[in-house]
Amino acid sequence: MAKHPPQEQHAALLTTSRSRNQIRWGILKDIRRNPWLYIMLTPVLLYFTIFHYYPMYGALIAFKDFSPRLGIMGSPWVGWEHFESFFEGIYFWRIIKNTLLISFYELVFGFPAPLILALLLNEVRKTAFKRTVQTFTYMPHFISLVVVCGMIKEFTMSDGIINDLLALLGWERVSLLLESQYFRTIFVSSGIWQNVGWGTIIYLAALAGIDQEQYEAARMDGAGRWKQMLHVTLPGIMPTIIILFILEMGRVMNVGGEKIILLYNPSTYETADVISSYVYRVGLQEFDYSFSSAVGLFNSAINFMLVICSNWLSRKMNNTGLW
Amino acid sequence: MDRRLRIGKILIRRFKAAVSSVLLMSLILAGCSTGSTEEGEPKDQAGASSDIGSTYPLKTSEGFTSWEALNNNAVTFYSNLAETPFGKALAEKTGVNVKYVHPNDQQTKEQFNLMIASDELPDTIEYDWTGRSAGSYPGGPEKAIKDGVILELNDLIDKYAPNLKKKLEADKELDKMVKTDSGKYYVFPMIRNPSGLVFRGPIIRKDWLDDLNLPVPTTIAEWETTLKAFKDQKGAKAPLSVTYTGGNFEIRDAFIGAYHTSNSFYIDDEGKVKYGPVDPQYKDFLALFRKWFAEGLFDKDFALTDGKALDNKILTGQTGATVSLLSGGLGKWMDAMKKQDPKFKLVGAPYPTVKKGEVPFTGQRDFKYNPGPSKAITTAAKNPELVAKWLDYAYSDEGAMLFNFGIEGESYSMDNGTPVYTDLIKNNEKYSLQQMVSQYSKPNGPYEADERRNWNTFPEQDEAVKIWSNTDAEKHTLPAFLTPTDEESKELGKILTDVSNYKEEMFVKFIVGKEPMENYDAYVTQIKKLGIDRAVEIYQNALDRYNER
Repeated sequence: MAKHPPQEQHAALLTTSRSRNQIRWGILKDIRRNPWLYIMLTPVLLYFTIFHYYPMYGALIAFKDFSPRLGIMGSPWVGWEHFESFFEGIYFWRIIKNTLLISFYELVFGFPAPLILALLLNEVRKTAFKRTVQTFTYMPHFISLVVVCGMIKEFTMSDGIINDLLALLGWERVSLLLESQYFRTIFVSSGIWQNVGWGTIIYLAALAGIDQEQYEAARMDGAGRWKQMLHVTLPGIMPTIIILFILEMGRVMNVGGEKIILLYNPSTYETADVISSYVYRVGLQEFDYSFSSAVGLFNSAINFMLVICSNWLSRKMNNTGLW
Repeated sequence: MDRRLRIGKILIRRFKAAVSSVLLMSLILAGCSTGSTEEGEPKDQAGASSDIGSTYPLKTSEGFTSWEALNNNAVTFYSNLAETPFGKALAEKTGVNVKYVHPNDQQTKEQFNLMIASDELPDTIEYDWTGRSAGSYPGGPEKAIKDGVILELNDLIDKYAPNLKKKLEADKELDKMVKTDSGKYYVFPMIRNPSGLVFRGPIIRKDWLDDLNLPVPTTIAEWETTLKAFKDQKGAKAPLSVTYTGGNFEIRDAFIGAYHTSNSFYIDDEGKVKYGPVDPQYKDFLALFRKWFAEGLFDKDFALTDGKALDNKILTGQTGATVSLLSGGLGKWMDAMKKQDPKFKLVGAPYPTVKKGEVPFTGQRDFKYNPGPSKAITTAAKNPELVAKWLDYAYSDEGAMLFNFGIEGESYSMDNGTPVYTDLIKNNEKYSLQQMVSQYSKPNGPYEADERRNWNTFPEQDEAVKIWSNTDAEKHTLPAFLTPTDEESKELGKILTDVSNYKEEMFVKFIVGKEPMENYDAYVTQIKKLGIDRAVEIYQNALDRYNER
């Protein structure tokens, strides 16, 4: 998922209060004034229309008994049948619970991690050290997910490196990926390891934008490093944090299915099976496209609601939001 | 000034021309990639029968597209079948230039799905259409014909495939297997040779057994002693290990069969269809493996062991016994260790039983008809007659030699009427027999495998086939090509998805000790609730219809 730079969202914010007519005139005038900006925007708009909006009509198959040979329009309608069979399935509550729990842990542990690292890096004065740390923490982001999961598997095997360490401490060797109670920990912590460095980039950019005079003023008032961070740095990057948080909320139901599928096995389904992995197993492997898109649609609807809610909340509390 | 303007205009015109020609080119290219037959002359569409003729090479300038997997070994040498010596010879002999499209080895299933969904069908597809195995066309052949994906072949075989027709008429049993309940042919089948039916079973380290002075184990009790010795005296961390990927436990029916049941549907002694994992005696199997897992006799990383992990375990002496394939397992490992450790020796062990001397209840024994490498003709075929004739070549005497042994004088020579592989194939310094054979012939495909063909490189392999053949598998295996009706397969699909999901999860949990054995009855009740009885009934009906074909 591409994260939008905050500037774009701020620009969008400005327009909300005006009436429609004004906007229409405004846009026309603006086009005349900045034609090149709009020309540059066109490919992006086209991209979204062709690859994001146009395919949406395919969501129709969630209400149809889709057969590839009949096509989307030709397949017979079945109404809510696929949704019903999903809701009535024996695993419905389990996968909803797992999805929410894993998302929750990712939000609680994964979301602050890059923020904390960025704040720490911000305090480092030795550029060479800072750069080295940054480079090292970026690296995992560029390793293919399949390779990362292969490594995780190797490390957690009964004769893997983690078990070697545990055995030194006198623990019994167990194949960690076979134990359902460890799955979430493994999943979330490896996710942090993989993305923490990458996530700091956007915060570091926001940090660079803070007015240095504010720090000076704070120092004049006698604020130490800690107080400066609390009262200058954090408020300075708050809008960025909130926007990233809202975007993150929109992904709550979309736990990375690929990584789950690469790591889970029947003995950890209990804690690992999420909506996307279930859809993959039941829907796609069995050619049941209609069922899969019904679940996908349900998923998107919830995500949509979550984004709206968190945006509303943040506007209420902080006066910032995506729109 | 004026001059510069003119030059400018000329440049613009040239630019326009260049752009339009590029556009045109891309259009043409796009046309080529979507359907190779499109550029064929229109006259071929109607009544070309007399022009092509019925002797090979066929008189045609037309080509078509075939979607089929490229053999695993061949992939290392060529990216397309047309480039292999076999592909070239086939094109020359049949007079037809076929464009081959190969799915990626790891994603055959996904790419097949995509192809069907995208509506861009080639002329012929080599794939499992039975709807029975994972990934095969859901709903089976009748559905595929009804959906308008593939053609019913009765007329085509009747008129244009005399060689196949002859074989079907001569072998009623085979004929029964390759058609649907309503008598429709849907593929040009791969016909296995009688000695190619058994190719999987338990494998054990013979050199370890000899060191420890132990016989090849036959009963469950003997296996336990052997595995214990492997663990204690040979330092094997996972004495017995079998791959488990994507919900498929490759032990199949070994060990499970000892308790007179199976890991899936099977036919019992009375000829009734049953689902093994709800049998009371299935619990005994689970208890056994649970015990072995706890004692460290069975792989601690069970359910995480894929093909590569198993290779590693076997080759590094962590594992001394497994259940695997004849050449893809036993042969491969022996070959890999040939130089490193000349003592390393694997042999096939009989399917275990509970009582000594008993004939194993079931094992692995496939049927003469192999649905996977069989070719169907699609509705997109511009000239089905040509495709049928091209396919029928493989069933002619001459074609059979090419498909089985390759090119005479190059890959084989005749010795007293028996084809023998040349040194290029048999004693190649760089490559194994399998690797060479894959370039000169088609190891799996729609033709009749020759009885005289033998790819075993080690005498242990020939021996293993004999040992593994000694089971009652033929009586107890449910044929892969039963054809439930469209409605039934839909129902069946739903039940089986639910059941196998639940069953696999519980299966692993029982074995690794996460689920108390006392819950076995609750587990059976749950599977019954998911509709297993109805699934059994559907298979029973399908089996009855099959027997009446």
